[in-house]
Amino acid sequence: MNPFEKLQAIFQEVFDDPELEISPETTANDVDGWDSLSHVNLILAVETRFHITFSQKELMTFQNVGDLLAAIETKIQPGS
Amino acid sequence: MHSTPENNIAYHCTQKICQEGNAQKNAFVFLDSQMQSTFFSFQQLEEESNRFANVLQQLGFQEEEPFFLFLPKTPETFFCFLGALKAKLLVSPLFYSFGEDALLDRLSDSGATGIVTRKSYLKKLKRILPKLPRLKKILVIDILDHLSENQLSLPLLREGVPSSFEIPPTSREDPSVLHYTSGSTGKPKGVVHVHGSLALQKRTTQQVLGLESDDVYWCTADQGWVTGTSYGIIGPWSLGVTQVHYAGGYDPEKWMLLLSEQKVTVWYTAPTALRMLMQQPDAFFASFSFPHLKRIYSVGEPLNPEIISWGRRVFGMDIYDTWFQTETGSIMISNHPGLIVKPGSMGKPVDSIEASVHDEKGNPCAPNEKGRLVLKPGWGSMFVNYRNHTDVYREKFVHGWYQTGDTAWIDEEGYFWFGGRSDDVINSAGHLISPFEIESALLEIPQIVESGVVGVPDPMLFEKVVAFIRLKPDVEMDKELELKIRLYLSNKLSSIATPGEIRVVDRIPKNKSGKIMRRVLKASYLGQDIGDISTMEEEE
Repeated sequence: MNPFEKLQAIFQEVFDDPELEISPETTANDVDGWDSLSHVNLILAVETRFHITFSQKELMTFQNVGDLLAAIETKIQPGS
Repeated sequence: MHSTPENNIAYHCTQKICQEGNAQKNAFVFLDSQMQSTFFSFQQLEEESNRFANVLQQLGFQEEEPFFLFLPKTPETFFCFLGALKAKLLVSPLFYSFGEDALLDRLSDSGATGIVTRKSYLKKLKRILPKLPRLKKILVIDILDHLSENQLSLPLLREGVPSSFEIPPTSREDPSVLHYTSGSTGKPKGVVHVHGSLALQKRTTQQVLGLESDDVYWCTADQGWVTGTSYGIIGPWSLGVTQVHYAGGYDPEKWMLLLSEQKVTVWYTAPTALRMLMQQPDAFFASFSFPHLKRIYSVGEPLNPEIISWGRRVFGMDIYDTWFQTETGSIMISNHPGLIVKPGSMGKPVDSIEASVHDEKGNPCAPNEKGRLVLKPGWGSMFVNYRNHTDVYREKFVHGWYQTGDTAWIDEEGYFWFGGRSDDVINSAGHLISPFEIESALLEIPQIVESGVVGVPDPMLFEKVVAFIRLKPDVEMDKELELKIRLYLSNKLSSIATPGEIRVVDRIPKNKSGKIMRRVLKASYLGQDIGDISTMEEEE
């Protein structure tokens, strides 16, 4: 499972929708239930499943799924 | 009991406005999440709600049957709400983020026979359908073909349906709107309102919010809550006021753009939203101009003095706090133009509302003495029952006064000051949350043996949810379990029920009859004296 597929599975779990499909352009406005409270759950899920952590500053930069995925990929790179 | 179509709330919000010569006036501008705007006139509001009323009649819905709306903010939310009122159904809008347990509680308790929703929400409903034998029709706003005999395409049903509708005779005592509200014990209770509530909702919209026919008004509340119906639909439209309805979530830039570009004159929002906006530097607001904005109001939680100061600095005006409840149906206590704002105060009773603060024996408290906030029954928008719980309804009236469940004090000048809840209900970001519901859901998680939930002060949310859990002996807390708990609560109940903090404890304090001593949990969290624990159950 590549990072995008893994992230999609996380979205499906967090937003309780097995049919949910995301793209790099997906934003909070495109996903039912993606509000500030469920966003906390999403970040916790990403951190837990990818074994990474985000700083507050990093969290402020995510505008869409593409931004989140890019940050994940940077952190899971060997040696990074 | 006099019955006439003119008593129907929806008549006043659409047909009457059109008859008065305002058919082509904008009823609302709908902004989607990308801020793309679509305008709807009162004529369209009238015709679309008529079509929906006709659909409901053709499907065989009977007067006073409970009918639910489970929708995000879309134009259909308003058409369906008003259409169902026209057909004289008991209309219950649901918060868009409810999970399946929260839905089941409300649909089951009310005996719902119909619901309108969208395709992406269907999955939640399908999971609980077997437990809802009375739910005969699900109408879906965004599918083009019927899915089954009972899961129907609303666009298809609406094809060829007349755009006129004859509202049946309606009395002021006929049920209209049903909102569920959380208590500290038991399941949520359905607060029943009647068509006669319109008069006070309209009057307070005029007197408190000061709306006039040329205003452009934005109420940020979701239609799942009483503010969203009383002041996001009924009050403003009964006055023929143009509204802005925005489908997106909180976004400081978009919100300020909306205020500016839509030329909003009156804005009704919530303290949590204002506190979030306060995090922006003042320079951020200087890049927008709000020449049309006349007044800002707030509801849901106490408005702290810092927000008032910030509003004066950034917007150059006072922010008026208003207080009411699901049960009251309309604003009871408020700050408003003409009344000097005492920062932090709820203001004074409005219209003919008689409010007081009583001690435990029902005697009026002295000035500045904290007690129970009570209201003299009989105001025009007073709820008439808790559906299926008349016993609980009766208990709300003591010594001839309605017990709000809030505490307050009145100063020497008659200003009311909010003191908190007198029960364990949590007020987080303006949402009342039942600790009981969260505790019950937590116990459904196999790793958890006991649970206790409290609200603690939070600088952003007013109160945040804190869950105390005792785990099975062989279970340890880790990130995976925390995630599981959070997602379970969010998906079963609602994102607003997700704890801000989860603490693992060795035991949950209970009294000798097994009741969770939430005050002990709260005091221990806050590092305060836990008080009298003589009734606490002995440790095993």
